[in-house]
Amino acid sequence: MRRKEDERLITGRGQFTDDFNLPDQVWAVMVRSPHPHARINGVDSVAAASMPGVLGIYSGADCVADGLGEIPHNPVPSTQYDVKLTARGGGKVFIGSHTLLPTDKARYVGEAVAMVVAATQDQAQTAAEAVAVDFEPLRWVAETAAASAPDAPSVWDELPDNILVDSSFGNVEATDAAFARAKHVVSMTHVIGRVTGVPLEPRAALGWYDAKTDRYTIYAGSGGAVRQKQEFARVLGVEPAQVRIVSLDVGGNFGTRNRAYVEFGLVAWASRKLGRPVKFRAERSESFLTDYQGRDLISEVSLAIDADGRFLAIRASNLSNVGSRCVSLSPLSKGSGLITGSYDIPYATLRSRATYSNTMPTQAYRSSGRPEVTFAIERLIDKAARVLGFDRLDLRRRNLVPPSKMPYQNAVGSTYDSGEYERNMDRLLKLGDWDGAEARRQEARQRGMLFGLGFANYVESSIGSPRERADLIVKPQGVEVVIGTQPAGQGHETSFAQVTADLLGIGFEQVKIVLGDTDIVSAGGGTHSGRSMRHASTVISLAAVDLIEKGKQHAAELFETTADKIDFVDGSFRIAASNHSVDWFELAGLVEKASPDGSNRLWVRRDNEMHTPVFPNGACMCEIEIDPETGGLEITRYSTVDDVGRCINPLIVHGQTHGGIAQGVGQALWESCYIDPDSGQPLNGSFSDYGMPRFDNMPFFKTEIAEVISPTNPLGIKAGGEGGTTPALAVIMSAVEDALAEFGPPEITMPATPLKIWTAIQQARQLNPTGRGNA
Amino acid sequence: MLTVSMTVNGNPVTSEIEDQLLLARFLRDTLGLTGTHVGCDTTHCGCCVVHLNGVSVKSCTVLAAQANGAAVTTIEGVARNGELHPVQRAFHECHALQCGFCTPGMIMAAIELIETHPETLTAETVRDEMEGNLCRCTGYHNIVKAILQAAEEMRAPQSARAGGGTREPTTPELTTGEGG
Repeated sequence: MRRKEDERLITGRGQFTDDFNLPDQVWAVMVRSPHPHARINGVDSVAAASMPGVLGIYSGADCVADGLGEIPHNPVPSTQYDVKLTARGGGKVFIGSHTLLPTDKARYVGEAVAMVVAATQDQAQTAAEAVAVDFEPLRWVAETAAASAPDAPSVWDELPDNILVDSSFGNVEATDAAFARAKHVVSMTHVIGRVTGVPLEPRAALGWYDAKTDRYTIYAGSGGAVRQKQEFARVLGVEPAQVRIVSLDVGGNFGTRNRAYVEFGLVAWASRKLGRPVKFRAERSESFLTDYQGRDLISEVSLAIDADGRFLAIRASNLSNVGSRCVSLSPLSKGSGLITGSYDIPYATLRSRATYSNTMPTQAYRSSGRPEVTFAIERLIDKAARVLGFDRLDLRRRNLVPPSKMPYQNAVGSTYDSGEYERNMDRLLKLGDWDGAEARRQEARQRGMLFGLGFANYVESSIGSPRERADLIVKPQGVEVVIGTQPAGQGHETSFAQVTADLLGIGFEQVKIVLGDTDIVSAGGGTHSGRSMRHASTVISLAAVDLIEKGKQHAAELFETTADKIDFVDGSFRIAASNHSVDWFELAGLVEKASPDGSNRLWVRRDNEMHTPVFPNGACMCEIEIDPETGGLEITRYSTVDDVGRCINPLIVHGQTHGGIAQGVGQALWESCYIDPDSGQPLNGSFSDYGMPRFDNMPFFKTEIAEVISPTNPLGIKAGGEGGTTPALAVIMSAVEDALAEFGPPEITMPATPLKIWTAIQQARQLNPTGRGNA
Repeated sequence: MLTVSMTVNGNPVTSEIEDQLLLARFLRDTLGLTGTHVGCDTTHCGCCVVHLNGVSVKSCTVLAAQANGAAVTTIEGVARNGELHPVQRAFHECHALQCGFCTPGMIMAAIELIETHPETLTAETVRDEMEGNLCRCTGYHNIVKAILQAAEEMRAPQSARAGGGTREPTTPELTTGEGG
């Protein structure tokens, strides 16, 4: 089924945030900190204030004077299925305040410390450069391990050691015993670096305060308008009903837009102060510096293995870098529940820590937390196979969770709902022609290329905000479904319409999905963590039952009978044993006609709360070729099998998987938010210095969907898309290691750039001049 | 301030503008043609590609003044008489877009690519030639497929029409602002 949303997007009629303009609007530009850590001793705006077009200059002190609140990020995952993260000793996690503009310190390069509003964007930019902020530079720390070290500078005075989370899980005694009796112990330390989401639409916001109605309207693309309405009501100190968020077409999200940005609140506040609409539009360099970033985890992991290759226990210690403010602990929490991966490992212990640092905050990014832990265990298994002499596929097969053990509770308490992990492997190895790889290796070798074959299994969790609401409104022209998810390309207008059409027995084209304007959408959990298809289909299914019941009652009144005499068949209401029948749209018309004041309409509202997580899973392989003379790398084959539960729209799910793969591959090979260790300056400020997946470095993909129906929700849905990303880091680095096996293999950190690969080859050749790589 | 005149999607426009106004901003902010997107300001991402006298340009680094006297075509102008352009149709049919932000630039770049490659297009050529357009959602897989499908369709009738077709005339006299 092709997508409904395409028509406007391919003809240039999308409604992205920057497409909105209001009469008389003016422009906001931020004054940003050039320091990673500095005390703010004052903001001198005298010179800037007299520059052409300038209407106002605001600092943190002005925010305080107007009583603006903090952004209530609520970063600690709290459903009963989330791993419970605490401060050391079980205490409350210290969350530093996130005000729109700081009054005390700037805590990362790029932090907005003042705002200039002027008639034009150019004027605001020029004036912003003339705002003199009296910064007193302080000692700073950016790198994850350094930030957690005892002598590190404190990002928050209230938390001298920067460590906001330190929690331990699992069975220490049993794990220790398993390690003591293990034949083998294999250990690794993984550094999964910092990346950023790079949605192609730079973030933007247009704020308007209407004094007549005492209401704020904020046009701002996000991952959940309803959530941001609540958050900005708190920031602005008004009732939620006084805030309207409009988030229609959103040009990519990947997690970066799921937390509120200070600029969204600032334009609304400035509009009230100035009596004019105020617009902000980030430049790409601002997006690189100040979009919420992703990953940044160090994972130390050890596996105890017996003589037959059975995994006995796993120990892990994970350290997450949340940046200068804690906006989400989801990545650490999600990963913590999945450290055993797809394997039946009886015992585990885990220490989960999080540290502040002088960097942009991190947030759940494209498969939050799962690529990191998948990387940790899959790379460790590759190493175990190599070092101990096992076949890497056999070693995995011996330890996979079998379908007979589903639902399976892993050693840190997560309950995998369903899955056929070994069958995924079998399907994948056929799809990717694993058996033919050796011949391709020889053929590549004849061309002078190093051939690498990578493999990874994965399991991930989809939890997400537990509540969702659907309004189903039948009109003579069609059915409207109002729902609180927030797509950024996932095709909700299509897949939700498919589900609704099926349930109501009407045509797909007769359903319209309405999203993203909080004056219409009254509640909903937004889009993150692969929650949308599962939550939406569940609440729409429940609402459809209610709607059919309501339709029967209306039809009964119409035909002067009782509802129990009405049958609903193929989208029509029929009186049993008669020829009388009415379809949805006729019925809606008759209901409207009978109620000229509009008090009676054919519609229902349904709320649903669903906590139980699902566990999408799969297997992935890829082939690469490396030119040993340049370190250049080409991906020649890439195949995945993904169990997404029931698949509503394969076209969309495959597309989501493709994009997910590209983002995972991007982190493995090119992407990095690098901070200069001497100056603390981020060095990736444009597409010139941030490596991206491109047309000419990506292959075609072979993706196959497995549908093992989840028992946790009515339609049996798990989640799609993030499964593309989850194993991608591991599978690429598995292939790089395989390609460089003859050179050691050397340890190469992500991103595995040509320079790193070439350097490793050169070093290995110098150490071993007669090696095969010198041919 | 200076005065520029050009045709945009076949309609003549004349406007008084700031000297430094970029073509992308002129199209979006002055003319309200918001289908042309700006994703990076630095000629890297290709979201802003339009045709200037039939040639693809990244309009975020072309001055509106450089388009004086030219014929500009934007994403809003490629469908004719309610009929989608074959490239637009192929993007829809192949699911070559997700969030849709890069899509206008992709379609504009792809149209020119197909028109300037009358020989059979290969996936490799598409990947090489489209390298200046970024997409974060699709992994490019379905975009390459869509461009190849559209090329196939466009080539069939075009060969019968001796190469001219019904598209915008591709007179390359004005080559400023190809953008690098």
